[in-house]
Amino acid sequence: MKISGSYAVPAPPERAYTLLQDPVILAKCMPGTDHLDKVADNEYEMKMKVIIASMGGLFAGKVRLADQHPPDSFKLIVEGSGKIGFLKGEGLLNLSPQGEATEVKYEGDVQVGGTIASVGQRLLDTTAKMIIKKFFQKFAEAAKG
Amino acid sequence: MIAQNFDYAAPANLQEALGLLSNESAKALAGGMSLIPAMKLRLATPEQLVDLGRIKELNYIREEGGTLRIGATTTHFQVESSPLVRSRCPLLAEAASFIGDLQVRNMGTIGGSIAHADPAADYPASLLALEARVSLVNAKSKRDLPIAEFFVDTFTTALEPGEIIREIIIPVEEQSTGTSYQKMVQPASGFAIVGVAARIRKAGGKIAMARVGVTGLSGKPYRATGVEKALEGSAGSAEDIRKAVAGIANGVDANSDLHASAAYRSQMARVYASRALTVAISRAS
Repeated sequence: MKISGSYAVPAPPERAYTLLQDPVILAKCMPGTDHLDKVADNEYEMKMKVIIASMGGLFAGKVRLADQHPPDSFKLIVEGSGKIGFLKGEGLLNLSPQGEATEVKYEGDVQVGGTIASVGQRLLDTTAKMIIKKFFQKFAEAAKG
Repeated sequence: MIAQNFDYAAPANLQEALGLLSNESAKALAGGMSLIPAMKLRLATPEQLVDLGRIKELNYIREEGGTLRIGATTTHFQVESSPLVRSRCPLLAEAASFIGDLQVRNMGTIGGSIAHADPAADYPASLLALEARVSLVNAKSKRDLPIAEFFVDTFTTALEPGEIIREIIIPVEEQSTGTSYQKMVQPASGFAIVGVAARIRKAGGKIAMARVGVTGLSGKPYRATGVEKALEGSAGSAEDIRKAVAGIANGVDANSDLHASAAYRSQMARVYASRALTVAISRAS
């Protein structure tokens, strides 16, 4: 599944870039995540509790940052699995100044498998968009303060 | 598959149910048309179910002070076949008749459907066009919300933990109003690829009021206010409709899945909106 979109972050690119690499900030903004554990440089383990419309569960996974070109772009590689399915994805985030703020554009490819993918096909796209939107809403707040 | 073990309670009155639901691990069960399949696949694993099906005070359709009040556990079939809904609010009966299949309509409930907030469900388009309100209740208090504020996002509503829908409140329709719900069905699931509800009132040969609710196109149902404004004051000709619906997907992040791409969905929204408006305008007197 291809995903793409863009969000405005109320901070200049340098600050937005630093925040997007900060495990404390990332954990705070990812829905259902308490903390990220550093396992190597630019690599983190996490647990995420996702409940949407009473469906969901606990996912365990890894986040890796690569191809970093501060403050313009970096790659985000995510994989996770839980009882109801698994997810693997890679996305490129591009940051560009927009006045005082930063426009963050993302473009990626996500594979979802397991029970959730076989029965929830119709809803994957919408749900992925919602989770990304929630992340950026919280991130925009974090970037302000 | 068989669902994971869970406790089950079937209280006979609302107060008892709300008491049970104030426990965080409890989940309300209405018609079970979405929750039970999810439990059987173990996508949902609630620890306790509180079955609302035996609570008589949640199942009713009545007219009261210029409004139609529909209890949360009223089934789609009850809505579809109710003479009261058909005469006072035909749009809702029409929308109910489009939901899933007969088995689903016999079991599924209006409260369950909107609490689930599936982005492709049928009711929301009509409820938005009708400017309905939702009455919510928990163990301690109750509140009323416009339907547009109730739907927050995909599968996300304004319901707080421990809170359930008590009833849906719809202003009784003036006889001169014309309405229509048109839906492009995804045949395997019965859900809408897009669904559009239109509600039209005319005065002096012109459209005095237009309401357009859209489901299936975006992550949450919405009112196409741009289309409404473009139509109001016009004569409602085929050309007026064509121009007005052109902008139905403006500013909307259209859904895309294996059944329909975002561009195709947006185009279908225009097509079905123009069908709904054409019928609604012809029904308005």
